[in-house]
Amino acid sequence: MDLYFINKPNLDRLVKSLLKTYKIFAPVKSDNNRFYKKVGEDGLGESVIGEIRAVEPIKSFYFPARTKIAEYFSSKEDSDAKEKPIAIIGAKSCDLVSFKVMDYVYGQEPFRDPSYVLKREEGLIISSDCTSYGETCFCVAIDIMPYPTEGFDINLSELEGGYVVEAGSGKGEKIIRDYFKLFQSAEPYVEKRNANRKKLKEDLLEHVKKSNIPPKDSIQKAFKSKFDSTLWEEVSKTCVECGACNMICPACHCFIIMDQKNEDKFERLRMWDSCLLMSFARVAGGANPRKLLAHRMRNRFDKKFNFFQDTIGRFGCTGCGRCTEACPGKIDIREVLSKF
Amino acid sequence: MENPYLPVKTEVLDVTEESPTIKTFRLKPEVPLHFKAGQFIEMSIPGKGEAPFTPSSSPYEKNKLEITIMKAGKITAMIHNLKKGDTVGLRGPYGKEYPLSEYEGKEILLVGGGVGLAPLRALFLALTHDIEKYKSVLFCCGSRTPSDIIYKDCVLDKWQNLDKKRVKFRITVDRKDDSWKGNVGLVTTTLDKLDINLKNSVSIVCGPPIMMKFATFKLIEVGYKPEQIYLSMEKNMSCGIGKCGHCRLGNFYACKDGPVFRYDKISHIHEIWD
Repeated sequence: MDLYFINKPNLDRLVKSLLKTYKIFAPVKSDNNRFYKKVGEDGLGESVIGEIRAVEPIKSFYFPARTKIAEYFSSKEDSDAKEKPIAIIGAKSCDLVSFKVMDYVYGQEPFRDPSYVLKREEGLIISSDCTSYGETCFCVAIDIMPYPTEGFDINLSELEGGYVVEAGSGKGEKIIRDYFKLFQSAEPYVEKRNANRKKLKEDLLEHVKKSNIPPKDSIQKAFKSKFDSTLWEEVSKTCVECGACNMICPACHCFIIMDQKNEDKFERLRMWDSCLLMSFARVAGGANPRKLLAHRMRNRFDKKFNFFQDTIGRFGCTGCGRCTEACPGKIDIREVLSKF
Repeated sequence: MENPYLPVKTEVLDVTEESPTIKTFRLKPEVPLHFKAGQFIEMSIPGKGEAPFTPSSSPYEKNKLEITIMKAGKITAMIHNLKKGDTVGLRGPYGKEYPLSEYEGKEILLVGGGVGLAPLRALFLALTHDIEKYKSVLFCCGSRTPSDIIYKDCVLDKWQNLDKKRVKFRITVDRKDDSWKGNVGLVTTTLDKLDINLKNSVSIVCGPPIMMKFATFKLIEVGYKPEQIYLSMEKNMSCGIGKCGHCRLGNFYACKDGPVFRYDKISHIHEIWD
């Protein structure tokens, strides 16, 4: 793909123009963490394009924690007004990788999930390179780069004064064509971008070395060999079954369906669910294949490092380290992997 | 894009009490749902929630269907309170059906326990619809007590005279009462002394997890190979379309890869009997 350069004021102009079409979110910093905030008419303002991933996973926008998925037995049309499609600015490589899982699950034929698929089809992703790493980051240990390699419409690599811009889709190319005057030649900047990427990757590799995570290609086999081990009792000892690791995980896709009455109609809601909760796999008759917490913990790793490897040829883990940050029981996914 | 979560408005036409804890609901959806024996549907109480069930009526009946439901949890308790004329929601059918073409020309053994007879009834009706395609059908039914036997008028009466040469029954109860003159013992006891050419046979098992486990082991013991045994797995099939994650069974989802599985495909998976 062709590369360009855009300076900071021009990126701001571009974003302001895109506001006509999209509801735009970009990360802002608070208390040394990053959170997505809606971009208003005044543009990017304090938005942080580089640095590391936001606290919340990108699934929050495409598969929100609570979504109405159906309205039924009502004589009226669906009451919700159509919203503008979503554009995310500053999504990171680990966020984009999580779409591999979500797109597979929700886009899978013959029953595609209409709300997810529509948001993905209409949405815009302007991703960016990480320019640093967080303490819990370990993407490179599972061969995910700290800069986007695919899955974006446009990617930004932050440099002093602006960004190297890469189009990753027809949609991204069209935006660059439509606003061509805002872009410059990337030539003087590409070398610096590549050097930055190489340096960050090396620094991060050094950082994850101390976690002793087994080589990526040996993880699935190692998981299988640990299936019947006491590792899972050990790992789950401090688990309080809060489900935080599931909620915060960009690749955890499970949900529960709830119905409710709302005036003269009925609504069906889809809410995030956690496989660590006792009732997750239980059936009405009382049978529960995973009564023990240790088995539910094992199931979480099974799904991520065995099921998805077999099903879509990649892990259901992006190395973002959010679960480690979120866990009140101090369960560190890197440490668990090191024990495989 | 069609919304797969949207239920079809459905009228309850009739309710039959099968046993103290099991009822059959005769339903007419506004838009017909064409299921194949073994596939399941999601049935909902408006505004309250839904649960998965396998229809028990003949898949050849076009506009109506029957679902046999045991009162076991919150939703099934609400379903049991339904009366003729009430409205429910249905969506589906979902999942893989019994592969009837693989059963053609064979001696078919059906093994059912309790409410597990429901999917087998749909299968039995599909088989007997074209009985000349199959060599024979032996239906082994187990129930806890005589009053727990469901479809009594069929199992104990009507079906017995369908085709005496080709269709046979072995009915048993775990515990008898004064009225019972038939066999007493677990359903596995009906699998002894089978007058079946095992090489040309398939067996289909449906029932509570514990019954499925021991019936399957018994079938292996009497000489069936795992690839000749078909199981209907009851898992927490919530979305029905392979997305919500609740019914995962190893690398499968019971809702889209099952609920009917050939035993050899899942025998290596931990947790299948739990």
